[in-house]
Amino acid sequence: MKAVIMTEKLSKWYGNILGLSDVTLDIEAGITGLLGPNGAGKSTFLKLVTGQIKANIGSVRINGEEVRNNHRLFSKIGFCPESDSFYEEMTGWEFVTGLLKLHGLSSSEREKKALKALGIVDLEKNKDRRIKTYSRGMRQRLKFAQAIAHEPEILILDEPLNGLDPLGRRKLIRLIKSLRDEGKTVIVSSHVLPEIEAMTNDIILIHQGKIFAQGDIHYIRDLIDAHPHMISVKCSDPRKVASRFIKEDFILNIDFSSEKDTFVVKTNNRDEFFSRLPRIFIEENIDVKEITSPDDNLQAVFDYLIGE
Amino acid sequence: MPIKEKGYTHWEGELKKSRYPWIPITRKGIKLAFKKKFFKFTFFLTLIPAIVYLAGIYISERLEDFAFLVENSKSVSFLKINPGYFNSYFTQDFLLFMIVVVLVFCGAGLISDDLRYNSLQLYFSRPITKKDYFLGKASVIAFFLFILTLIPGIIFMLMKIIFSGNLRFISDYPWLILSVIGYSFFITGFFAFYTLFVSSVNKNRRYVSILIFGIFIFSDILYGIFKGIFESEYFSLLSIKANIKQVGAAFFGQKLPHNVPWIYSFLVLLFICALAGFVLNKKVRGVEVAQ
Amino acid sequence: MKKKNTEKDGFFLSSFKNVFSFFFLLGRKSKKTKVFYILSFIPVIMALIVKFGQVFASRSSLTGIYVFSNFIMTFYLQFIILILALFFGTSVCSEELEGRTLPYLTTRPVSKASFILGKYAAYTLLIVAMTVVGVILCFFILNFDQLGDLSLYKILFRDTAVLVLGLVCYTSLFTFIGTFIKRSIMFGLIFSFGWENVIQYFPGSTQRFAIVHYLKSMLPSPSSGRFSFLLFRLEPTPPFLAVIILILITAAFLGLACAVFNFKEYILEE
Repeated sequence: MKAVIMTEKLSKWYGNILGLSDVTLDIEAGITGLLGPNGAGKSTFLKLVTGQIKANIGSVRINGEEVRNNHRLFSKIGFCPESDSFYEEMTGWEFVTGLLKLHGLSSSEREKKALKALGIVDLEKNKDRRIKTYSRGMRQRLKFAQAIAHEPEILILDEPLNGLDPLGRRKLIRLIKSLRDEGKTVIVSSHVLPEIEAMTNDIILIHQGKIFAQGDIHYIRDLIDAHPHMISVKCSDPRKVASRFIKEDFILNIDFSSEKDTFVVKTNNRDEFFSRLPRIFIEENIDVKEITSPDDNLQAVFDYLIGE
Repeated sequence: MPIKEKGYTHWEGELKKSRYPWIPITRKGIKLAFKKKFFKFTFFLTLIPAIVYLAGIYISERLEDFAFLVENSKSVSFLKINPGYFNSYFTQDFLLFMIVVVLVFCGAGLISDDLRYNSLQLYFSRPITKKDYFLGKASVIAFFLFILTLIPGIIFMLMKIIFSGNLRFISDYPWLILSVIGYSFFITGFFAFYTLFVSSVNKNRRYVSILIFGIFIFSDILYGIFKGIFESEYFSLLSIKANIKQVGAAFFGQKLPHNVPWIYSFLVLLFICALAGFVLNKKVRGVEVAQ
Repeated sequence: MKKKNTEKDGFFLSSFKNVFSFFFLLGRKSKKTKVFYILSFIPVIMALIVKFGQVFASRSSLTGIYVFSNFIMTFYLQFIILILALFFGTSVCSEELEGRTLPYLTTRPVSKASFILGKYAAYTLLIVAMTVVGVILCFFILNFDQLGDLSLYKILFRDTAVLVLGLVCYTSLFTFIGTFIKRSIMFGLIFSFGWENVIQYFPGSTQRFAIVHYLKSMLPSPSSGRFSFLLFRLEPTPPFLAVIILILITAAFLGLACAVFNFKEYILEE
C-alpha cells in the first residue's frame, strides 16, 4: 500500500529541549495509533505533520507534497487539536459553518455538511447554543465535528477522547473505525493505551521524542524475544499440567496464583508451549476453562520497550 | 499484620496559621513581573528622573563648580532644594506616565490572569482570606511604586543632608519627611486600587492593559477639552493626573496648579478608591470558598 | 502560466473574502466590540454636553464647527483611533495566539497572507464604522442649527476621511507589531502615547517619523489660540503627498505582517 504521510529524519528542538528526534515514518491509509506518555513528542509530531511548526531537520510530505506553507493540501486534511480552545462567543453551528466557509464551500453545501457533522457527534440539538455554555464533552465533540465536517481524506486527531464519558468514548471509537472503512487515513494520538487498542492494531510507539516501534501490536510483541511471554491457564488440575512442563528448558517460571485453578507460566518459546498444551489436556483428561496472555497488550509492550 | 512503610514518618506537629499569608502572593507577583521581557529595561527608565534629581541635589551643593551648567536664573531656581523640588519630582508628567507603564507591566495581569485561569478557587481553598488576597496583590504594586516614590524621597533627603554636611535642611523643613511618606502612601494606595479594579474587570490582559493606560490618558484629554471650551478650572477634577498634582502640591505646601480646592481632588481620588474597592469585593466574592 | 496566475489570484481573493466574512461576523458578536463601540461614542456624549452648555447655559461662545474641528477631531485623532487601532490591530494575530485558536485557521486551505489581510480588513471595517458613526453624530449635534450650510459638509467629509485614513494606517502598523512581538500592547501604547506625542516637539524632518504628522498635515493649521497646544509645532507635508505616504506605510506594514506571519513559527502556550 502506498504511504499517504511520509516523514524523513524529522527532528524538532524547542531551544535546548528535544521535541522529536530523527523520525522516519511511512503512514498508510487506515488508522494509525500514536502512543506515548505525556511529553513523549506526540503533539510535536502532529504539529509538524499539520505544518503548524517547522522541523529543524527533515521533511514531512503528504501525498508527496511538502506540508509547511502548502495551504491547498488542507482541503484534504482535518485536524482535531488537543487544546480546549474555541471562539467562545460563537454558537456551535456558527463555528462549524464558519470554518467550512474557509474551505470555499457554498452556503447550501456548508449547511448540509455542518448539519451532517453535528448530527454525527450528537450536537444537532445544541447547535444554536453558545460554545461557552457547552460541557467539556460537548466541546470535545464539537472539535471533532469541525475536523470531519469538510469530509477530509486525512484526519489528524490529537487526543480526541479527552473529556468524554465512557459512552462518548465508545461512540467516537466506533466512528473513527467507520472512517477507516471509508478508506480514510486517520492518525490518532493518545496516552491511554486501551483507547488505542480498541481502535487499531497499527501503532507507533513514541517516547522521549524517539520512535520505539512501529507496526502491528502483536508483531511488535513477537519481536521482543528478549522478554519472556506470560501465559495464564485456568483448568481443573493446574498442578498436574504444570508438572508436565517443569522439566522443559523453554519454561522459565511457573507461578501458582491465589486462585486454586490457575497457574501462570513464563516462557521464551510461546509456540512450543502452545503446541504441547492441547496434547497434555487430552492425555491427562483435564477440563480447560481459560487461556490468556496477560502481557500481550500494549501496556506490557510499551513497558518492555521503554525498559520499565 | 501492620504494614511498615519506610520513608514516611507521621508528623505529630501542629499546623499554625501564618502571620502574613499574603507575602507569598506578593513575592510571586514581583518575580513574575521581573520575568517579563523588557520590564527591567522599562523599570530602569522609570528611575532616570530620580537619578537626575539626585544629581540636581549634588549640583545644588556645588554651584560654584557647576557654574557653566547653571548660567541662567531659571536653572538656579530649579536647583533650590526645598519642598517645591520634591513636589516637582513627584508630580512630573514623565514619572506619572512611566508609573502607568510600570502598572501595565506588573499590574494588568494580577487579577485578570486569575480570572482567566480560574485560579481564585485555588487561592481560596488555602487558608487565606479575601483581605490577604487583595493585600498580597496590592503589595506587588506597592513594591514597585515605593521604589519610585518613597525610597527616592528618603534618599533625596538623606543625600541633601550628607552633601550639605549639616542638618539645616531638616530644621528648615521638619514636616517634609511626613509629606514624602504621606504622599507616597497616598499615591501608591490610589494606583493599587485603580490597577486592581481595572484588572478585575476583564479576563483578557491585553484589554486590561489598554484600559489602565486609556482611562488615565482619556481623563486628561477630557479635562483639556472641557477646559478649553468652558474655561473652567473645575474640569480638572475629571483628570486623574490633574487631581494627583493638586494633592501633591497640597502635601508639599506648594501653590496649587489649578484654582480648585485641593480637598475636592483628594475626595475625587478617594471616591475612585472606594468605587474600586466596592467592585473588587463584588468581583472576587463569587468564588470564595466558605470556611 | 497566465491561467495559473489568474487561478491563483481567484483563489486568493475568494480566501480573502471568506476570512473577511468569518471575522466580520465574529467581531460583530464579540463583547469587546460592543465595549469599544460605547467608547467611540464618548465624544458624542461630550458633544451633547457642550451643546447643552451652549444652548441652555450660554457657556462658551465657540461655534459648533469650531468645536467639532478642533476638539472632537483632536480627541478622535489623538486618542480614540489610537486605542481602537491598537486593540483591534494587535488582535489580528495576538487573539489567535492567546486563545489558542490558531490551529483551526492554519489547517484550512487558506493562505496565511489572505488570513492576515482578511482579518485586518474585517476589523478595520468594524472600527471605521464605529468611528464614522460617532463623528457624524457629533457633527450633527454640534451644528444642528447650521445644517443648511453646505460648506460645513466639506469639513465633515475631510475630517472623516482623515480619521479613516488614520485608522487604516495605524491598524496596519499594529497588525504588523502583533505578528512580530509578543507584548505588542505595551509597545503599541508606548508608541501611540509616547512617540507620537513627543515627536511633534521635534522640528524639521523628525516629525515625519510619526504617522500623526501626515494626518495633521491634511487638516488646517490651528489658529494661535487655546487649542494651539493640541497641535504643537507642525511643518506640514503637502496633503496629497501625505495621503500617498500613508497608503505606502499601510501597504508596507501589511506586507511585512503577511511575510512575518508566513515565515514565523508560533508555539502556543499549553
